Amino acid sequence: MNSLKQFFSGFKKGMYDFGQNIAIIINSALLLIVYLVGIGLTSIFAKVFGKHFLETKISKKRETYWSDLNIKKKPIETYYRQF
Amino acid sequence: MYVLGISCYHHDSSAALLKDGKIVAGAEEERFTRKKHDSSFPINAINYCLKNQGITINDVDYVGFYEKPLLKFERVLHQHLEMFPLSLKTFLSSIPSWMNQKLRVMRTIRKELKYKKDVLFIEHHLAHAASSFLVSPFKKSAILTVDGVGEWTTTAYGIGKDSDITLMKQIKFPHSIGLLYSAITAYLGFSVNNSEYKVMGLAPYGDMNKKTNPYYKKLQRIIDIKEDGSYRLDMSYFSFHYADRMPSKKLCKLLRGPISKRDSKMNQRHKDIAAAVQLVTEDILTKMLNHVYNVTKCENIVMAGGVALNSVYNGKILRNSPFKNIWIQPNASDGGTSIGVAVYIYNTILGKKRDYILKDAYLGPSFTNKQIKNFLDKNKINYSEFKNEKELIGKTAKLIFDNNVVGWFQYGMEWGPRALGARSILANPCNPNAQELLNTKVKHREKFRPFAPVVCKDDALKYFNCDKQLPEPTDFMLMVYPIFKEWRNKIPSVTHVDGSGRLQTIRREQNHLCYDLIKEFGKLSKTPVLINTSFNIRGEPIVCTPYDAYKCMMGTGIDYLVIDKFLIKREDNKKDMWDSEKYAKD
Repeated sequence: MNSLKQFFSGFKKGMYDFGQNIAIIINSALLLIVYLVGIGLTSIFAKVFGKHFLETKISKKRETYWSDLNIKKKPIETYYRQF
Repeated sequence: MYVLGISCYHHDSSAALLKDGKIVAGAEEERFTRKKHDSSFPINAINYCLKNQGITINDVDYVGFYEKPLLKFERVLHQHLEMFPLSLKTFLSSIPSWMNQKLRVMRTIRKELKYKKDVLFIEHHLAHAASSFLVSPFKKSAILTVDGVGEWTTTAYGIGKDSDITLMKQIKFPHSIGLLYSAITAYLGFSVNNSEYKVMGLAPYGDMNKKTNPYYKKLQRIIDIKEDGSYRLDMSYFSFHYADRMPSKKLCKLLRGPISKRDSKMNQRHKDIAAAVQLVTEDILTKMLNHVYNVTKCENIVMAGGVALNSVYNGKILRNSPFKNIWIQPNASDGGTSIGVAVYIYNTILGKKRDYILKDAYLGPSFTNKQIKNFLDKNKINYSEFKNEKELIGKTAKLIFDNNVVGWFQYGMEWGPRALGARSILANPCNPNAQELLNTKVKHREKFRPFAPVVCKDDALKYFNCDKQLPEPTDFMLMVYPIFKEWRNKIPSVTHVDGSGRLQTIRREQNHLCYDLIKEFGKLSKTPVLINTSFNIRGEPIVCTPYDAYKCMMGTGIDYLVIDKFLIKREDNKKDMWDSEKYAKD
């Protein structure tokens, strides 16, 4: 009886681990598609049109790199938003 | 009215509870889960906060979160769009946690806490700014926040007046002093978001002369600093914006060597690089602070963000800038933002008057005499009990004077990364062997790392060449000052190689037991200064419970544990509970 129980608990754990591994493979495959199609195409089009998503260039001519932030007290409703 | 602040999912998750404008409880999740810098949802810390006040989540009026998740996610997507296809690996590894966790904060709060009211989301640097200004002693102050990165902002400045905060200007990702410091930390073989303070401790062993340190000039090449302290990094030297390693191959080439392996031996080159990054950081911050003063014309400055834990520079701020007063909260890094969220909701959003100043850091769990006695008895631990406080102070001072290492467990656990006399390991600073003993047998940490001195506030100016009016952040071990030359040989174990010490001052009204202990030790040694280091081993969070403290003592070279009114001698309890050396991590 005990060995049967042991077998089933081992089997269950094995199936769980198998499921986890399958999930990782499927997730990675789906994310790879999203990355290549969603991120990749957008990025290529943006580069063709000279659009940059991060400001990385250093300019010796500029006097300052400070940019406006202007965060101050706002109505409470704006804090319910996650953006 | 209760307001609960939460920070999580980056590093150092925490929760803080505010009652009618006063912070009544606060703790980091790592102290409960025993995973250093734990970033998971701080359910244990929240439960502690609620239990501390004997309330349930239904009694909480507002819950606040320390950042705007969608803004942060936008930045992450922008990184991937900009760096395609180099960012593939980090995309595959990071996006699942965004989908399953970070973008579901609201759902997690509702599910885990069964909280039904609204959740407020405060910008990350605003939470930092509030965490320092709104609990500071200043009615009006300039504010500077500097960390790795929030949503987009890495550095911001502004002004606080009464209950209002305005953040005026920012430096945006990927340009970040915090990330520059972290990149060099990674380059030197230390862990990021953890060991930056080791680089700071290593720096004085290097060449701190800007003219002769070869790496100082090299690091200047990778950052363009303007006269107003604004800056940009040359991103070709970094890879943190698309990869899981921070320095790029180009940076390795510039610094003449590959990334150091973890726990590798530090040579003079490493020390000079650490010195160079500290010097560059100080250059930027000095220019920045002078600019912030020119814009705000305010004599007070409050700082927050991980960079505000750079205690070496903090000790120079009042000398390097026109500011007259400074305040930094004890948990200036991300862990402290849960306080910022709570006070911002109460004081700024709800417009309630400020009448609270954070005067001590003992916001964590405390244990009654009965609870501790029950723990000791239940576990059959051999102990003795002091008759009264006088005996406790006298005997403990004598033990330390006789060069014993004492674990000290009193009051509520500290808020923030420093042990401030509640969960501390105390030792005799006059003992020249104490530093090596503590580093090797107790803490299992790198030999170069110095220990901090704790001194009563009224004695500090005798030993330390401080700013004339001793700044409040010295109470939180946030300022490094030179030790007067005549004392350096007398307290060698807390004197760093450059003659400085990371000073902690203590006032009797904050912690009368620790204050009296230092004074009593002074009567025996003629030097009222103690070594104060955090009660943990390398890689472990500071102890929280009596069990953690006992376990730590039994696995290390700590000789005695003074816990409430009880004294436990390690040798009286023969069996070691664990081998701490085996578990010491980075």
